[in-house]
Amino acid sequence: MIDVGSFFILGILLFSIGIVGMISRRNIFVMYMSVELMLNAINLILVALSHHYEDLNGQVMAIIIIAIAAAEASIFLALFVMLFKNARSLDANFFELLKQEKHND
Amino acid sequence: MLSTLLFLILALSSLVSAGAMIYFKQPINSALSFIITLLSIAGLFALLGGSFLFLVQIIIYAGAVVTLILFIIMFLNIKEENLPHEPYKARWILFMTLLVSPFSAILISTVNSIKFAPLHLENFGSIKAVGMELFTEWILPFEMISILLLIALIGVVILAKKEKSHD
Repeated sequence: MIDVGSFFILGILLFSIGIVGMISRRNIFVMYMSVELMLNAINLILVALSHHYEDLNGQVMAIIIIAIAAAEASIFLALFVMLFKNARSLDANFFELLKQEKHND
Repeated sequence: MLSTLLFLILALSSLVSAGAMIYFKQPINSALSFIITLLSIAGLFALLGGSFLFLVQIIIYAGAVVTLILFIIMFLNIKEENLPHEPYKARWILFMTLLVSPFSAILISTVNSIKFAPLHLENFGSIKAVGMELFTEWILPFEMISILLLIALIGVVILAKKEKSHD
């Protein structure tokens, strides 16, 4: 029989996978999706807590986190398009080019 | 019994597709397996009684955010030589897993020491209840999110606009 603790353990495992992907990969798309995975794991834990206490505040917090993640996605993807225009690469090491180009102006 | 079976299927598919997401070389394969993770998490929300959050997760995450990622990946026309050169990817992932697993083991043992009540299947996260909570107690954060979205819109337009030539 499952309880709320099973959802907690799944959230912890998903968050750990997100950390591993964030640190060990250099492809910026995979790094960005790892950040989103960590946000989703936190959402899962918040909804499980909301179910445990029978209180709706956790679900409302999860909705607000989803709205912030949508705003974050637009800015991340605009940065990726800029990076790809400047460096023709998806390597996260090339993000220093954004700083240099601003300096040369 | 049915909820246990559903939880096991959804948990397994979310873990496997998340692991595949950080391992794939091509970003489009990662994005497609990330959709499976998000849909499994939406199913887990429904299992916890949040029917409105289930809808929001499918519409906004799987419908808007990942579609935007797929659109940008197709728009950039990524070739093999544009991808970063990662010869030691599997070794890095193994090393980081070894480094992170003690911390998650500590967290899991802490969670296991708490006694939780078993899952009760009733729908308490209906649209009406969540909307009442959102528009009474959480009205200030709700309005601040609208300002945040406006700032994100202006920032994206400034980032994406063409630079004037200086000659």
